[in-house]
Amino acid sequence: MLSIWIQNAVSGVAIGLLYGLIGLGVVLFFQTTNLLNFAHISSAMLGAYLCYMFNVTLHLPFVLAMVLAIILVACYGLLLKRFVYEPLAKREGGRLEFIIATMMLSVFLLNAVIVLWGGVPKPFPNVFGDPAKPLIIGSVAIQTHSLWVLGYVTVFVIALQSFFTKTMTGKSLRAVAQNQGAARLMGIDVEKMLTISFMLSTGITALAGILLAPAYFVSLDLGGGIIGIKGFAAAVVGRMNKPYVALLGGVLIGLAENFVVLYASSVYRDVITFAFLILFLVVRKKAEV
Amino acid sequence: MNRKSVIMLVILAAFLAIPLVDSNQYHIYMLDRALLNAMIASGLVALTGLAGQMSLGHAAFYGIGAYASAIVTKTFGVPVIVGVISAAVLCLVIGMLLSIPSFKLSGFYLSLVTISFGNIVWTVIVNWYSLTGGSLGLLGIQPIRIAGRAITRTEFFYLAAAVLALIYFVTTRMARSYIGRGLRAVRDDEMAAETAGIDTKRLKLLVFSLSAIYAGIAGALYAHLSTFLSPESFVQAESANFVAMSVVGGIRHMLGGTIGGLAVTMIPEMLRVKGWEIYYLMGSSLAILVLVIMLPNGLAPSFEKFIDRLAGIDRKSGKRQVK
Repeated sequence: MLSIWIQNAVSGVAIGLLYGLIGLGVVLFFQTTNLLNFAHISSAMLGAYLCYMFNVTLHLPFVLAMVLAIILVACYGLLLKRFVYEPLAKREGGRLEFIIATMMLSVFLLNAVIVLWGGVPKPFPNVFGDPAKPLIIGSVAIQTHSLWVLGYVTVFVIALQSFFTKTMTGKSLRAVAQNQGAARLMGIDVEKMLTISFMLSTGITALAGILLAPAYFVSLDLGGGIIGIKGFAAAVVGRMNKPYVALLGGVLIGLAENFVVLYASSVYRDVITFAFLILFLVVRKKAEV
Repeated sequence: MNRKSVIMLVILAAFLAIPLVDSNQYHIYMLDRALLNAMIASGLVALTGLAGQMSLGHAAFYGIGAYASAIVTKTFGVPVIVGVISAAVLCLVIGMLLSIPSFKLSGFYLSLVTISFGNIVWTVIVNWYSLTGGSLGLLGIQPIRIAGRAITRTEFFYLAAAVLALIYFVTTRMARSYIGRGLRAVRDDEMAAETAGIDTKRLKLLVFSLSAIYAGIAGALYAHLSTFLSPESFVQAESANFVAMSVVGGIRHMLGGTIGGLAVTMIPEMLRVKGWEIYYLMGSSLAILVLVIMLPNGLAPSFEKFIDRLAGIDRKSGKRQVK
């Protein structure tokens, strides 16, 4: 029994970290723009498909394919700012208009992917080890994918943390997130920081999408909403302003999901996220965005 | 009667004459659907444009209304009108429940709660086999009957148009009464509204249940129009579509729901060109995206401006726009 527990905990933490990574992207984006991007999860789908294309179709090594995919998706973030955010801001479109615009964008990208790659899920190459050959410690079988995810996320978080605390750009970004007006007065180029936060949030989500692909396949599910809402739920746990609490929130959701599947039914796996969201939002004391 | 009302009536008459001229059954079916969508979008115009509350879960009310009416008429053999009324009552109750989170939350958090609500309802519809038929769908729902025979799609068009007119009338009346003024106060500054002695909770309860009833009625009518229900019609993407309708039409304009509902239902159909089937969803979502970005105020204000110009009205004095 204990071995099943540990197995579930490990895979829950691994998947949860990826939800958390998506949530982290949401938080970073929200902090600088004060908006929610409902096409956020499309970046994960784009990342996974691009990485698949580079790795499988063009036979590039996996790490190179991943880096190229993330860079391309970050460039898509640039386009998002230029063609959706800026025109809307210029015409004084509010939050609702941004929500609807990004929702339509996610439908558009979903259909663009269907046109380009077809709607059939594609198996991701076994770069994280064969799922049929887990690592066996005593009576516990652990998917190597989970361990790779743990490794990647740890490295990524350390890199992100040093970016935020050590580099001038990272510090400026944090200043913009805290107080845009004051940051502008201190001579920080707010426009540039906004661009960076667009690229950062789409890039992070692309990374999460690539790492999620072995679990969800390279499929439209990655851009289809439910995972995006899990990311939002993680961000809500982090109160939209604490990126690392969002990461932790994702882990909570991942664990809750896995244990619900273990003890109840897989039908209610996704309901957990929604229950989580409602609980966190309604029960909590102050909730204003 | 001034020139503006004459022009409006002419446009209305031209619209109502479409089923008489066009005998293509598919076109008429899409018009029927467009009218039903317009009902829901009108509810969202009241909810979001007037009261400033966001809902991205209205497909749930559409679904609850559809299944409630279908199941009630199927199990008890009662006439369709009883089914529609029971759907409206059920949606009223659930709409009241959904308004509770809005007492505390607003903006994005509220939209996330409504998304969760929509997804939970959808999961229940898919998994409650004994009641809803699950993903196989619900078959053999009775159509609306007049004098013993099922009504045609053209007749349904006029029925739906009449219901939509009623909804428009109720919403406009409400918007111009003290309730509408209270709702606008809630939208602009909730704390100030509360200080001025407006019972914001009661108003939110009211506007949530009103928009839920509209969606429930539309759902019930849809069930009896198509006589077959499947959960696919009530997925999350539909909720987003309904909000898109109200935004494309004009969220702050009383005609916004109607115009947006018609436009957003028709745009994909117009792009459904032979040989381009895989591109049409891409094209239609792009079209809506561009519409929202280019015209954040929606089509309805531009439409009204255009009519004013036709009627030669000076826009300042002749304005009767609800704002």
